[in-house]
Amino acid sequence: MKFLRHLAAVVLVVAVIVGLGVLWAHASGGGAGIGSGFKQVPSHQALLRIRQIKAGVIRLQPDDGIHLADTGNLIRTCEIEAVLATAVIAISVVRRWHRRMRRNAAAGA
Amino acid sequence: MLSHCGFVNAGRATSQADPPVIASRRRILARTRLDFWLDAVLLVAYTLAYSLGFTGIAVHEWLGIGLGVVLLVHLTLHWDWVIRTTMKLVRPGGRERFVWLVNLLLLLCMTLCIASGILISEVALPELGINLPVSSFWRQMHDVTATLTLILVPIHAALRWRWIVGMARRFTAWRPGRPL
Repeated sequence: MKFLRHLAAVVLVVAVIVGLGVLWAHASGGGAGIGSGFKQVPSHQALLRIRQIKAGVIRLQPDDGIHLADTGNLIRTCEIEAVLATAVIAISVVRRWHRRMRRNAAAGA
Repeated sequence: MLSHCGFVNAGRATSQADPPVIASRRRILARTRLDFWLDAVLLVAYTLAYSLGFTGIAVHEWLGIGLGVVLLVHLTLHWDWVIRTTMKLVRPGGRERFVWLVNLLLLLCMTLCIASGILISEVALPELGINLPVSSFWRQMHDVTATLTLILVPIHAALRWRWIVGMARRFTAWRPGRPL
């Protein structure tokens, strides 16, 4: 019962966030997915990407599932996550160490 | 929201403890184990879903939808923490406030990322017979929020690294004769 109550609260919060996103889309005139009628001109980035795909700079993968050959993408994601997590842990350890030193100094005084 | 640091010692039941106390500890330990493995699955699934080049678009989309459902469960399991910490925000003290802020940003980004991903779906929704017109707004929203989640997810996990290390030691180490 408690789980269902909490789930209802979570679904409500998520619905509010999505609702705000939809409002934002409409306000900026780009919510073509939810009813707005006009089409936008492709962005500079999108055009650049198409040009890179045509030139062979970006290699497109077929959409038939996991590509074990292309682990570089997965490794890059893991590397970014590891670097950020390590930075946060290092800061946490240093802060804790500083706190302990301060406490020891105060106890010694 | 890996916020169950208080449950780390919950499994140390003594032989003298009352049966209700032991039952309560078992319940807490089972819940901690569920939190740990659910969080681990979420992290692995998120990492795979982010690596579009590795998974391909179909796996990326279905994994993203599954991730959305599991995230609802994750948030529901930690809703008590959300309420407790939100109530405590007025009190002085920075750390929990920072964790709360990171979690709030992650909730916003993850929700918008998954919602925009569903709206720009090229495989999953058409397979379900739903075809939405292409929107550059939602595509841009998906790109931006995905990048932000890649920054926020490791921070979110690393802020509870002591709990993770403690639980990983407890749940993954095989110790003969010692029930978990």
